[in-house]
Amino acid sequence: MKIVVFIQQIVSTQVKLQGVDYFDASRVSDDDLVINPTDKNAIEGALKLKDSQGAEVTAVCVRGNKPNKALKEAIAMGCTNAIEIADEAFYTDDPYLLAKIYVKALEKIGEYDLVLLGVEEQSSSSFAAPAMLAEMLNIPSVLYAEEMETIDTGFRVGHVLEGGKKVVAIPQKALVSCSDSQYFIPRYTTMRGILAAKKAVIPIWSASDLGLEISEINADAASLKQISLTNIVIEKETFLIKEGEPEEMVDKLLAKLKEDEVKLGAC
Amino acid sequence: MKTLVFIQIRDDKIEENTLGILNKIKTSISGAKIIGALLGKDLKDEWIQELGLHGVQQVVTVDLPDLEFYLSATYSKTMMEIINQVNPKFVVAAGTVYGEDLIPRLAVKNASSCAQRIVDFTIEGDSLHFHTPVRDDQAMKITQVVGDIIFATSRPGAFFVDENPSGATPEIMSISVAFNDADKLVKHIEIKKAERTVNLKDAKVIVAAGRGVAGKENFQIIRELADLLGGQIGATRACTDVHWIEETYEIGQTGQSVSPDLYIAAGISGAPQHMSGVKAKTLIVINTDEGAPIINYADYAIIGDMHTILPILKEKLK
Ligand SMILES: Cc1cc2nc3c(=O)[nH]c(=O)nc-3n(C[C@H](O)[C@H](O)[C@H](O)COP(=O)(O)OP(=O)(O)OC[C@H]3O[C@@H](n4cnc5c(N)ncnc54)[C@H](O)[C@@H]3O)c2cc1C
Ligand SMILES: Nc1ncnc2c1ncn2[C@@H]1O[C@H](COP(=O)(O)O)[C@@H](O)[C@H]1O
Repeated sequence: MKIVVFIQQIVSTQVKLQGVDYFDASRVSDDDLVINPTDKNAIEGALKLKDSQGAEVTAVCVRGNKPNKALKEAIAMGCTNAIEIADEAFYTDDPYLLAKIYVKALEKIGEYDLVLLGVEEQSSSSFAAPAMLAEMLNIPSVLYAEEMETIDTGFRVGHVLEGGKKVVAIPQKALVSCSDSQYFIPRYTTMRGILAAKKAVIPIWSASDLGLEISEINADAASLKQISLTNIVIEKETFLIKEGEPEEMVDKLLAKLKEDEVKLGAC
Repeated sequence: MKTLVFIQIRDDKIEENTLGILNKIKTSISGAKIIGALLGKDLKDEWIQELGLHGVQQVVTVDLPDLEFYLSATYSKTMMEIINQVNPKFVVAAGTVYGEDLIPRLAVKNASSCAQRIVDFTIEGDSLHFHTPVRDDQAMKITQVVGDIIFATSRPGAFFVDENPSGATPEIMSISVAFNDADKLVKHIEIKKAERTVNLKDAKVIVAAGRGVAGKENFQIIRELADLLGGQIGATRACTDVHWIEETYEIGQTGQSVSPDLYIAAGISGAPQHMSGVKAKTLIVINTDEGAPIINYADYAIIGDMHTILPILKEKLK
């Protein structure tokens, strides 16, 4: 089976941009660059299939700063191959353009069975790329998967649903987006994987390698246009207790609650 | 502005966030013509009446056995049929699992992008400006969608439902759509409905735990604390997913919505899907990670291990 996993690299949301210039790239170090959390869940989904029935897993990264770092990590986790897709002209804040690039990447990769992605891009909070890609490829898909099971005809997939869970069956050639469930909790990298990642040669494909015209994928081509991006200044003040022995911390909390006249009981 | 709203039904009722969108459109787009797209099997007249009350002027119904359950292909094909017939300028759905699946597909069928998870929009000239919180609600992004038809989803919990709606009976237009085998490649197997045996809506105090609780047995202390405070327990989907606790206690977009006076959140990171179900007067957080997004919402936070903090808290409260 051939699986393609699309991952994105983001500036970890642990990096707080409150009160600082949101666009100050100098504040971001390599350590702050991480694989988008649910994309890592998608890698895990692919590796589970690789473990159980053998699969060639190709990780592809289009979006983010120094995607090479994310791709090396994907290989260190156990992916077979990695491809970096980069072009200065790319405007990937529009999920429509991102999905368009993904389509071309899949065409160049050639044969594939399953396409896996995360459920959301945590840094831009875009949820649209998986559904857009499935629609462009015109293949069956399930979004927000929580578990997958191989069956004769393909997969049986349970996905998140308001008020419970829904189970559907899909053929093997399909697209699945993977959520933050127990089934998809990502594994750690291994020593063997890290060595493989060191040796791995990761090709870089540009827009022209994919047969894309710049005018199709640059900012002018976007139909989702960003007008502004500003910090949300949280007015709420948090009484933060981070020092002291556990007992002192609890005492501090209770004293402050008393001072603020916060009622602790329901009656 | 002709606006088409994808109507979602849950538990035999019109889903809240859909009603919220109707209210938002009614109050912020003057002269809007609101059309509701109601798809399903055995559609009820009472839903149509309720839509009228909430400001929908026309309801397009498609009542077919194949639409009993949401599936991407059948639903997006049907919505395209409706779009072609009514020619809307703006197409919007509540950003539930189904809404977020549907809207991007419709956008692609119309060769354009969409705005997802909006919490507000404003009218600027003849276009709409969408407000979406990004990076775990650290920043607000304002966007505009360029295209003949504008597609968007709202973030659950973003818009209020009109408590005293006063609209009239809507006009009804009924259409039919034919499906082929290619539309049925994804097969519905079942919906496992979470049993809602405990109602958390009216709880004044909730002690909730997330993945940090690290096991079924550790819910004991959560229960004890809740009992001591005369409250209820709650949990994130991460906990109900692995059956550390019954599904009835799930709080958030796919669980219950709560609005207690006091919410104690231990080992919860604060994902938007969880937080959208929590409206607490006072939020106390216990988390080992100072960078967890939930700290931003907290009134009081202890950065520490819940397994040591909670037993001490319990002893002191006794
Ligand atoms: C469409 C959709 C709908 C969803 N709906 C919901 C919903 O309704 N409700 C919901 O909850 N989730 C929902 N989710 C899932 C949601 O996105 C998150 O995955 C989930 O809320 C995370 O749960 P968590 O905070 O328990 O886990 P994590 O995000 O893993 O956070 C665990 C936290 O515990 C802390 N921690 C770890 N150990 C300790 C310790 N010893 N002491 C103190 N703190 C500790 C960590 O620092 C971390 O902050 C939905 C997801 C999707 C895609
Ligand atoms: N710390 C940061 N420094 C600079 N730009 C940022 C930062 N965080 C987010 N951005 C912007 O947000 C977009 C998405 O970021 P990323 O997390 O890399 O996907 C980037 O293209 C930047 O425009």
